[in-house]
Amino acid sequence: MAMANTASENDRIALLHSPIDLLAIVRDVRADPDGAMVTFDGFVRNESHGRRTLHLDYEAYEPMALAKMKEIAALAHQHFAIHRLAIVHRLGRLQIGETSVFIAVSAPHRGAAFDACRFAIDTLKRTVPIWKKEYFEDGAVWADGELPPAPPSSPRTAS
Amino acid sequence: MPPVSSNLRVQVLFFGRVRELTGLAEEIAEVPSGTTLASLFGLYAARFPKLAAFRSSLVASRNEEFASWDTPLSNEDRVSFLPPVSGG
Repeated sequence: MAMANTASENDRIALLHSPIDLLAIVRDVRADPDGAMVTFDGFVRNESHGRRTLHLDYEAYEPMALAKMKEIAALAHQHFAIHRLAIVHRLGRLQIGETSVFIAVSAPHRGAAFDACRFAIDTLKRTVPIWKKEYFEDGAVWADGELPPAPPSSPRTAS
Repeated sequence: MPPVSSNLRVQVLFFGRVRELTGLAEEIAEVPSGTTLASLFGLYAARFPKLAAFRSSLVASRNEEFASWDTPLSNEDRVSFLPPVSGG
């Protein structure tokens, strides 16, 4: 059974300013060649470091975030024997319990789907230019994040 | 109208705490040719002194790619100084 080794045209990579329809994504990602699907549902927790969270605001450098999410999808196809992948992140104000990021991966066998899903969310959190601000009863802070690795200095950078 | 030949026009984008600190979402900067991401950042750090302390916790981007600070700019580049990312 040949699995495409590149990003599938059926992949669904998106930034949304409205609620994420989890079931629609699940329906899109599962297909007859598959025997397994793994999903990751990231949603807003009601506390952060012991403080009660009211809501979160997410913002993104949208064209760059989409490009980085597509790179993650392409890498996932290169490294894992998966079929289809969805990576969808929501932006704007989110209330407690609302899904901020949803990832779904289908594959003929579960191992690749688990591995690719973990890879996708971990890489997204390290490299995709999205930021969240946490609002509490007594103030708001930008969440501690991770600094993406910058490429090494080079004497000449191609334009 | 073409820009003055010795100058570059670049679009500078601001996000997260950098956007809040500068009060800017984006602007066009006109800078001499030979300007790098680091020297452009230096101009903003001089204009917004609080920004200078953030340099070590920012990563630069050029045309939607992470870029080293010594990257020279070209006319019409889109650049940004990105805070640590916290999606998910």
